[in-house]
Amino acid sequence: MIDCDVHNGWDSARVLLPYLDRSFRDYLDRGELPGGRDSFPHGHRAWLHPEGYMRYDTLPPSGGAPATDYAYMCEQLLDRYDLDYAILLGEEGMEVSTLANPYYASALARAHNDWVLDTWAPLDDRLRISITVAPQDPEGAAAEIRRVGGHPSVSQVVVTSGSQRPYGDPFFHPMWEAASEMRLPIAAHLGGQGGVNANPTGTGPPTFYWETHAMLCETGMGHLASVLAHGVFERYPHTRLVLVECGVAWLPAVLWRLDADYTALRKETPWLKRLPSEYAHEFVRVTTQPLERPRNPDALWTALDDIGGRDMLMFASDYPHWDFDDPFTTRFPAEWRDAVLDGNARALYRLPAARPREEAAGAGA
Amino acid sequence: MRVLDSDTDGRVTACREDELGDGERLLLKVGRRRIGLFRVDGRFFALHGVCPHAGGALCEGPLTGTTRTADDFFGFEYEREGRVLRCAWHGWEFDVESGQSLADPGLRARSYPVRIDDGAVVIDLRPPRRTTT
Repeated sequence: MIDCDVHNGWDSARVLLPYLDRSFRDYLDRGELPGGRDSFPHGHRAWLHPEGYMRYDTLPPSGGAPATDYAYMCEQLLDRYDLDYAILLGEEGMEVSTLANPYYASALARAHNDWVLDTWAPLDDRLRISITVAPQDPEGAAAEIRRVGGHPSVSQVVVTSGSQRPYGDPFFHPMWEAASEMRLPIAAHLGGQGGVNANPTGTGPPTFYWETHAMLCETGMGHLASVLAHGVFERYPHTRLVLVECGVAWLPAVLWRLDADYTALRKETPWLKRLPSEYAHEFVRVTTQPLERPRNPDALWTALDDIGGRDMLMFASDYPHWDFDDPFTTRFPAEWRDAVLDGNARALYRLPAARPREEAAGAGA
Repeated sequence: MRVLDSDTDGRVTACREDELGDGERLLLKVGRRRIGLFRVDGRFFALHGVCPHAGGALCEGPLTGTTRTADDFFGFEYEREGRVLRCAWHGWEFDVESGQSLADPGLRARSYPVRIDDGAVVIDLRPPRRTTT
């Protein structure tokens, strides 16, 4: 089983200081920070979770913040669910997308990547790393993908779903080009709805946390449509888009609509050779958490089956966050389980086909 | 987490009455069952530790109050201080005495009867007797 959305944190963003370019180290050391001395430079979203967004029981007994203690992460996640792999996405690092200064944002992303490859990657062969880039600096993002994308622990690139424009826009193509060259997917993870990313949803700002959290699936829809329409996968066929935590139930409806409108107005995007849904089926993957729960579970699977959802969904828990999906109790159709809980992610991230159990058990030693 | 066995009648002696102060709890493991024992205003309540929503760690979340709307509709009135248990995973709210979900009338966490027996707090794990109405 592979968990495609696991967050690894830190107690203080000051862990990045030794990894930060000298020109920017003082920014973090002495510069203004949004939430006190240990906080990470980012524009925070305007919707504050009234209970904090961590599972209450993820505080490590050793002290510190959730998902900072590898041993406790093993106990609560990796070992408990017998995961073959956990795709780590970091905690706050991807929020570099919210900063106005693209050069500082890219410097922080580089520091984050060096820190995570230095401290987390060596801990356990089950941990796979998502490298953070600053999409508002597409050339910097491309350089960073080429710099660290070949590290054997790196499985993908991650950006926030909050952005200044949708990711298919030619502005971002240097990032896609580099990802394709390095054979890496780009994951857009829910978040980054702050700072310069001023369009959380299409209507303008919602009000409450739960209302916003439920509706941020809109960001996934927007990126999906944009990436398909701009022909990103025609131009850069060796990369993929992974939508993380953006929901899955809307996917059939949006693809049906895209197919219909594309068919009528094909001439606007003559570079496309197939229906949007056909590109999506081959090049787009979506993580399941938080999985929508219709009153009749079959309502979800029937719709998803229509667009080949069994090949597109990848299980995610979102540990240690408050909307965690437990792989033991989250319900999938029996004939979907192998693909969704394991096979789709294994193929996407080109992970070994089979791992002997003894090796997996001893990997954390 | 206190690991205990139940007696042959399906009862378990969790602790002494004075071991828990108001607002405090004891997490128990009895066989394979996880239970949270709570003391609220001098009374004891026991809830099944697995959340009926999604199997989360129900009894490890905060024991707190909640907010209802005030009479003018858009007001906020804080109520039930210390009587609302929020699941440690997803934060769903349950009445600590009845196990009733605050948001979903059809959802209830299992609650176990508790009695004080000569200063000992005894939880009754037997299945609830079926009642006919």
